[in-house]
Amino acid sequence: MSDLFDISISALQSFQTAISVTSNNIANANTPGYADESVELVGTAPQGTTATATGDGVTVAAINRSVSALNNTQLYTSQSTLGQLNSLQTYTNQVDNIVGTTAGGLTTSLQKYYSAWSTLANDPTSTASGQAVLSAAQAVASSFQTTNAQLQQLNTGINSGITSDVSQINSLASSIASLNTQIASGSVGSSTQTPNALLDQRDEQVSNLSKLVGISTTANSDGSINVFIGNGEPLVLNDNITTLTTVPDAFNASQLDVSTSTNGGNSINSQITSGDLGGLLAARTQAVNPAINQIGQLATAVAASANTQQGLGLDSSGSLGSNLFSVSAGQAIASSNNTGGASATLTVGTSAASLGALTADNYVLSYKGGAYSLNDAATGKSVTSTTTVNSVTGLSTVTGPGFSVTLSQTPAAGDQFLIQPTATAAGSISVALTNPSQLASASAFTATAAAANNGSGSLGSFSNPANAALPSGATTIAFTSATTYTVNGGASQTLGAGGIVSFPAAGGWQATLTGTPAAGDTFSITSNVGQTGNNVNALANASQQNQGLLSSGTASIIASTSALVTAVGSQAAQVNTAQTAQTAVNTQALANVQSVSGVNLDDEAASLLKWQQAYQASAQALQIGNSVFTTFLDAIGATT
Amino acid sequence: MRVTESSLQTQFIAQVNTLESDIATTESQVSTGLNYTEPSEDPAAAGTVDNYDAALAQSQQYTANANSAQTALNTESTTINQVQSQLQSLRDLALEANSGTESSQDQTAIATQVQQIQSSLLGLANTQDGNGNYIFSGYATQTQPFTQSPSGATYNGDQGQPLIQLAAGQTVATSDNGATVFNAPTGNGTFTTTAAAGNTGSGVIGATTVASTYSGDNYAITFTSAPTPPATTPSTYNVTDTTTNTQVVTGGSYTPGGTIDIPKVSGGATSVQITLSGQPATGDSFTVAPSTSQSIFTTIQNLVTALQTDSVSSSTSTQLTNAINTAINNISQSLTQTSNVQASIGGRLNLVTTALSVNTAQQTQLQTSIAGLQSSNYATAYTALETENTTLSAAFQAYTITEGLSLFKYIS
Repeated sequence: MSDLFDISISALQSFQTAISVTSNNIANANTPGYADESVELVGTAPQGTTATATGDGVTVAAINRSVSALNNTQLYTSQSTLGQLNSLQTYTNQVDNIVGTTAGGLTTSLQKYYSAWSTLANDPTSTASGQAVLSAAQAVASSFQTTNAQLQQLNTGINSGITSDVSQINSLASSIASLNTQIASGSVGSSTQTPNALLDQRDEQVSNLSKLVGISTTANSDGSINVFIGNGEPLVLNDNITTLTTVPDAFNASQLDVSTSTNGGNSINSQITSGDLGGLLAARTQAVNPAINQIGQLATAVAASANTQQGLGLDSSGSLGSNLFSVSAGQAIASSNNTGGASATLTVGTSAASLGALTADNYVLSYKGGAYSLNDAATGKSVTSTTTVNSVTGLSTVTGPGFSVTLSQTPAAGDQFLIQPTATAAGSISVALTNPSQLASASAFTATAAAANNGSGSLGSFSNPANAALPSGATTIAFTSATTYTVNGGASQTLGAGGIVSFPAAGGWQATLTGTPAAGDTFSITSNVGQTGNNVNALANASQQNQGLLSSGTASIIASTSALVTAVGSQAAQVNTAQTAQTAVNTQALANVQSVSGVNLDDEAASLLKWQQAYQASAQALQIGNSVFTTFLDAIGATT
Repeated sequence: MRVTESSLQTQFIAQVNTLESDIATTESQVSTGLNYTEPSEDPAAAGTVDNYDAALAQSQQYTANANSAQTALNTESTTINQVQSQLQSLRDLALEANSGTESSQDQTAIATQVQQIQSSLLGLANTQDGNGNYIFSGYATQTQPFTQSPSGATYNGDQGQPLIQLAAGQTVATSDNGATVFNAPTGNGTFTTTAAAGNTGSGVIGATTVASTYSGDNYAITFTSAPTPPATTPSTYNVTDTTTNTQVVTGGSYTPGGTIDIPKVSGGATSVQITLSGQPATGDSFTVAPSTSQSIFTTIQNLVTALQTDSVSSSTSTQLTNAINTAINNISQSLTQTSNVQASIGGRLNLVTTALSVNTAQQTQLQTSIAGLQSSNYATAYTALETENTTLSAAFQAYTITEGLSLFKYIS
């Protein structure tokens, strides 16, 4: 009879445990990382093997966590992607806002600048109009400066974001490692019961880690896990962690790269493509730095075109105009990993051809196998370049799109230089002139065809590629044939390609011939010094507004500014769309995890009722057992 | 699928966030009147509006330029009208002096009046605009274009013609330099005929015409014989091309009031024809030369000098007549020249007026386009706001119902 009591008591104990598990589930319904638990009941085997042997009650074999490893992995991946998009979105939207509002301001200030030249052309002697040009130029410079400063501010934010992410990743990694230790010892010590609470905690830490950086995990036999980031870079191996560190970029010390404690400070940026950290790195390379370069490209074009035009005209004192804007000529940075001692000097071209070829990209110049190669810094694609060696100094100059780089000595094999033709322009542009009288409104020369000329030729479009001084006195160009000419009766010269006439000597000023002159035709080129009302150069400055200066001469500066607004807006819109889509994916992934591991209170209510009734029934069974035993005692007169 | 309370909550919060963000965007469209506040909301429109804004401002600058050009051209036009009326008076005075009835005292009086006209023309030639710039000095707008000199006036300006931009690639000249306005070709515009200073006869140059084409050479007409009064036999003359040194007419015959016909080559077709009146003396000569550009001030100075010369003897009287005739010719050429300039100004003013109306139309068009791209459609925005509001209320109610469902409520 005694087994009747044992059976009931085993049931009462098991159901009490079941009610505890249910209560614990209800208590943890809102605990992050908590996985729904259930009791695993096992009937106790009968002690005899006879056909009539009854079971010996029930025991709790295990308390199981309800977990789907597949759902969890999907959630981690989804969270990494969402984390990347979230932080990228923060920055693309800010770039959008900065470029959209302040570049809108940039368009306005550029427009006002060209209008001011147009007004000055209406009355070149007006000091007030000249002052207006200078003020408008000042406004252009400060628009560029402001936009650049705001964008640079974003890079500062990205740096502190990287530092914070790296420290959070390290702290999560070390807590995963210590949980690994506890879980492994727990698993070994008690083979029957897994440490559910520790596993819940570890899953939650891994889940948090996946928001910061893309991860993959593998399980070990002792219950511990390994965590990898990027292309299998180990972060946690059992109870060991690899610490992530931040290191200054090899080319640009003001930007932080991610590295690890084990790889000697080399950047692993390229491996980190997802999670909040991946988003920050992407924001820097895809949104902020390109915008800084594009603004810089515009600043370079504004400054170069205005300065070139100034140099072709005469100011109020009759001298050739000096530069209206001063602007940094980009920078060429030697990698901190270089072993040679060569330094590189960058020159950004100011001619129309150079401006047309100039891009907003950065380039990497590498020296290997005795030759230089130029690659796009973002895409790594090879870029056409030519290398020339100065026969006197022996120095090499590499010419790329719109710029040239001169090396101070031959670099060591494998040395690299980052070429940033436009990155520093917007931050450095300023107005160099202070007095309206320094504005070159007048053209330097007027070319007059002699009345007796028989040909159809005319001279115009003066340029000064070699920065020659103003020739003194009038210059007479006499054509001895349609393609040869003399200057002031000197030796015969041949017309340059594109009808270029050089005066007073080769390498000096150039005028462009249109039409065909007859032999004997002469042109007189006279200086315009003293022509205070000459507005030809001011008109040329004003008309630069519509001139295709960028993108191989197809886009004006203002059109390029508008295009930048659209490009940045499109990028932000694209990231916004991707983020919205990924949020939906993530909500679904979360729902999937919850569908397995979440606590459903209705389930728990039903379970409570079930276990309560089972408990009551077992108690009843005990009661009946008791009464059966009492009846038996009464029958044998054991009671008094 | 098994759904838990917490995932219901998460989903509800996510939905409410999305709906509220949509409402905020729509609400901003209604309250700002703008279709977008960040370029990312409509990148293409943002870029286009940016471009249109620049085009609009440029067009407004062109309007300002056109207005400035209009003012400058109107000033010049008014000044040239006054110049023309002075020239008209000048020609009347010259005709009066040439009527043959004037005494030498009258001539002096006329000379004084001519000098007054000369100084008022000089004043007009040195007209300054509202900004103190000389309008007839080309690019040298700060230099007084004309200063008086013994031979009339010296031009100190240059040949420049300042331009103003009316549209991309379209410019208009806002002034004409003094050389263009105040210089005119001498003679009949092609060639000029002059009596030699030492002529003793009464030969006076009349009308001159180009019969076919003028070679551009210089010619000398020399009278080789003249009848002795009262005889009225024709005089004879030779014509030499002094540029090529060839005689083109030998022994030509002339009677007073007749013409001298000059061919390009001896015996050829008549190239130029000169009508003379009066009787030149033997040895008198006349020269034909290509027209040159001469300042009106030189013309006036020559006239004044001629009028002030005593004209008692018959030969000086003939010289005076020839001088006055030359002056009248040159004044007429100046009148023609200023009329040409006036016509050109009229053409340019038309250009400016057209540019002004084109700009105005373009600005209206751009403003409409910008408004179309930038402004929100209130009807659409309101409707959207209404719909989003309804959806949010529905979501709230649905959640209240779902959230209220719990088995625990039914367990007592």
